[in-house]
Amino acid sequence: MKNTTALYCALLLAGASLTGVHAQTPAAGSKPTVAAPLAPADLYAALGEKAGIVRLVDDFVERLVRHPRIGSQFKDTKPAALKEGLVDQFCQLSGGPCVYEGPDMAELHADMDINKGDFNALVEALQAAMDAQGIAFAQQNRLLALLAPMHRDIITVH
Amino acid sequence: MQYKPLSLLAALALASPLAQADTGKLLLTGGVSSITGTAGGGITPWAVIGSNATEGEWGASAFTTRAVTQDYALTSYGAALAWNERVELSVARQDFDAGAAVALNGIAPFGVQPGQHIRMDVLGLKLRVAGDAVLDADTWMPQIAVGLEHKRVRPGSLQSVFDFLGADTQSTDFYVSATKLVLDKGLLLNATLRSTRANQNGLLGFGAGAPGRNSRSLQPEFSVAWLLRRDLAIGVEVRFKPDNLQATGRAAGLGSALREDAWKDVFIAWAPTKNLSLTLAWADLGRVVPGITNGRRQSGAYLSAQVAF
Repeated sequence: MKNTTALYCALLLAGASLTGVHAQTPAAGSKPTVAAPLAPADLYAALGEKAGIVRLVDDFVERLVRHPRIGSQFKDTKPAALKEGLVDQFCQLSGGPCVYEGPDMAELHADMDINKGDFNALVEALQAAMDAQGIAFAQQNRLLALLAPMHRDIITVH
Repeated sequence: MQYKPLSLLAALALASPLAQADTGKLLLTGGVSSITGTAGGGITPWAVIGSNATEGEWGASAFTTRAVTQDYALTSYGAALAWNERVELSVARQDFDAGAAVALNGIAPFGVQPGQHIRMDVLGLKLRVAGDAVLDADTWMPQIAVGLEHKRVRPGSLQSVFDFLGADTQSTDFYVSATKLVLDKGLLLNATLRSTRANQNGLLGFGAGAPGRNSRSLQPEFSVAWLLRRDLAIGVEVRFKPDNLQATGRAAGLGSALREDAWKDVFIAWAPTKNLSLTLAWADLGRVVPGITNGRRQSGAYLSAQVAF
């Protein structure tokens, strides 16, 4: 009986180590990936690639310009230009093949009075737009995590 | 005197002439109201400043919480006032149904009344000193706050037991909290370190006569919450506590009758609107004066409602 138990344990251990080796082999063989982009490429896919991002930004900007709290901040902004800039930004940040070439975020917001509550209202509008596009909550948070640090350049009133 | 701060702050919070209509915090990022009134999880403060108010805004919140275990029950209610996502002032009143304590009369003629409740008032002050738990998503730097909780307990006919144990009826806890939302994972982490003399959060007084511990000790508290949706979070908490009274009880021949354990809970918090959150938890309070409860661990449901502006 004891022998059987010992044998069983040995088999289990052997099985475990074999499984371990097997699991490690591909990882050990693969080369380390090239410098990680800002986001893993699958976020770009999760946003529906360029077409999905265009739909998202169209809806987002519509929500911004008629927002009761922050809509007036966009009265001097051309929606088409805003959309183009945001599409490039979201696309690039999410690992897509785009380059944002618009103005520096700090420069862009320097003359505006934007407090943290305004910034959060913008985040909520983006969340609502992502909901409307059917983007999963976990994916929404991955995009927000890339955008949130911009608060340092966007919030001008503390 | 004990009543004034509570009613004043409650009036401010509920009438909220100071709280603005259009406050701008993101949903659930102000935490919920802990049992001591300050913003956090259910049993531990977080570094967040409560209410819906963010920078440049005034906000207020009010809450009530009920927890029932095998032998005890706790009702807590209170309010908090927040300014500029910087300072939070909170008050809470706790009503602890300590009816089980009548059994202490079998140990000595303490004169404990049947159905005795222990009441405690908590005045809290919290100051955010650094960081932004939510928006600084590209660094590991947490939001950090320091705070205090001044507690006064009124044990009623249990005063004789407090005297016997050498437990004081007032003391102040000091704490530092660090809170970080790992935004891309929807994971909120909090660690709090508390300097305290409190026995069972203060409901059994503060400190103990020799050979129990009468001095402060540092106790860690942890929360982990996972955002399932913007309006829904689940999580776990653990709060370590001193075991000041046990040695006093042992010296009095009571064995481990006064042993105290860590508090733990698992919770789900739901914010159906910006102004309302509901928290349901299962709390394990460990042993609470096990000498009069057959050594049972105290566990049970915890339900809390908060309104915030």
